[in-house]
Amino acid sequence: MVYYLFLPVFSLLLIVFQTTVLDLFFMGKVGLELSLVLVVYAGFYLNIIKGGAMSFILGFYLDCVTGSIPGLFTFIYVAIFFLSRVVSLRVYMEGLTFIMVFTFTCAFSEGIATILIYEFFLGVDMFHNILRVFLPQALVIGVLSPALFAIFSRFEVLLNGGEARQINRT
Amino acid sequence: MSSPGKYQTIIIASILLIASIIILSFNLKQLGGTGFIRRLVLETAAPLENIINSSMGGISGVWRRYIFFVGLEEENRKLRGEIVSLRGEVNQYREMYLEGMRLKKLLNLKENINYPTVIAEIIGGSRSSVFKMILINRGTTDGVKEGFPVLASEGVIGRIVEASWNVSRVLLLIDNNSNIDALIQKSRAQGVLQGRGGEGCILKYVQRSEDVRVGDNVVSSGLAGVFPKGLLLGVVKKVQKKKSGLFQEILVSPAVDLSRLEEALVILSDKKDRR
Repeated sequence: MVYYLFLPVFSLLLIVFQTTVLDLFFMGKVGLELSLVLVVYAGFYLNIIKGGAMSFILGFYLDCVTGSIPGLFTFIYVAIFFLSRVVSLRVYMEGLTFIMVFTFTCAFSEGIATILIYEFFLGVDMFHNILRVFLPQALVIGVLSPALFAIFSRFEVLLNGGEARQINRT
Repeated sequence: MSSPGKYQTIIIASILLIASIIILSFNLKQLGGTGFIRRLVLETAAPLENIINSSMGGISGVWRRYIFFVGLEEENRKLRGEIVSLRGEVNQYREMYLEGMRLKKLLNLKENINYPTVIAEIIGGSRSSVFKMILINRGTTDGVKEGFPVLASEGVIGRIVEASWNVSRVLLLIDNNSNIDALIQKSRAQGVLQGRGGEGCILKYVQRSEDVRVGDNVVSSGLAGVFPKGLLLGVVKKVQKKKSGLFQEILVSPAVDLSRLEEALVILSDKKDRR
């Protein structure tokens, strides 16, 4: 219950932190989307209700704060959460390389989905952003994902007790 | 996975995906409105963003000073402290002077515009590499509505895309979603100025036969009724005529340095309010 009470507040703080502090840190050149890594993490390790609610709320807040079409990131985050969930049931996902590759794929797919939705529904051409924006963004987030997974795991331990997960260097 | 668990996953997945698709498709059909929950989130997030943005300046200043003073002699530290304090004071005066100058420019601009206007402070925004937007501290309670143009003293910044009670979101003219009816000031050739993110803007649909040169001013044409005619949008940076095709490719630099915005002027451009 406490989880669901804190979820909206924590999610808003994370999104604001992401769009202000991290944006200042990276000078707006590369967006470090912590929320996306958290959604992938939730898909791997959280239960379906907790993770689904978190993905939905994070996506909705990101829509509100970035000014994108309402529902765009909500849909993408929920889809990525369930994709991660399905993958986690079929693949051994503790390896560092797998986490990096999977997060990179999700981040890049998010970019492509954004471009396609804007192109097909609003007729806005954003294809020039693929190599200049989405690819470097996905690479950065992919490289940093194991470290972020470790941090999220620590937080989860703080909330629930127990031991932090070990991520294998394979 | 057991059967009940499997069904639970499918049911929750379906509910969340359908809910998000409904939100998305509803908003794709009805662009422009700012829903109540979205307003609430915006009103909650804006002060947080403002606090973080303003405190980050202070923190980085403290950090720089700390690095600078480490390892220096006590006397040296005192003297430097004094210098820093005096510099801070001078800097404060300079900031006030510059702010006064900026506001004076905005007021001059305000007098030249035939519409009522309101001066706003930039309190945050999305510098994300895809969406180029800023937040200002004026909303519907100040008369700001969606679609209103936003200017700096040098020219157009963008237009309001979301207006909450006390906060509004401005779509910068370099955002990919921004399209403004424009014309080349000298030749009067008409086109549409479209945002290209970090690259600035491109002026589309200008015929090959038109005489366009680097350095020409690009101004609003006033055709779509959003921006009053003649507002400076940018300056032609590059002109390229390909061997084939009806139109030429024109790259435009925005007239305003969008990375250094502090104040802006919103034109309350309802026709009935025209002065």
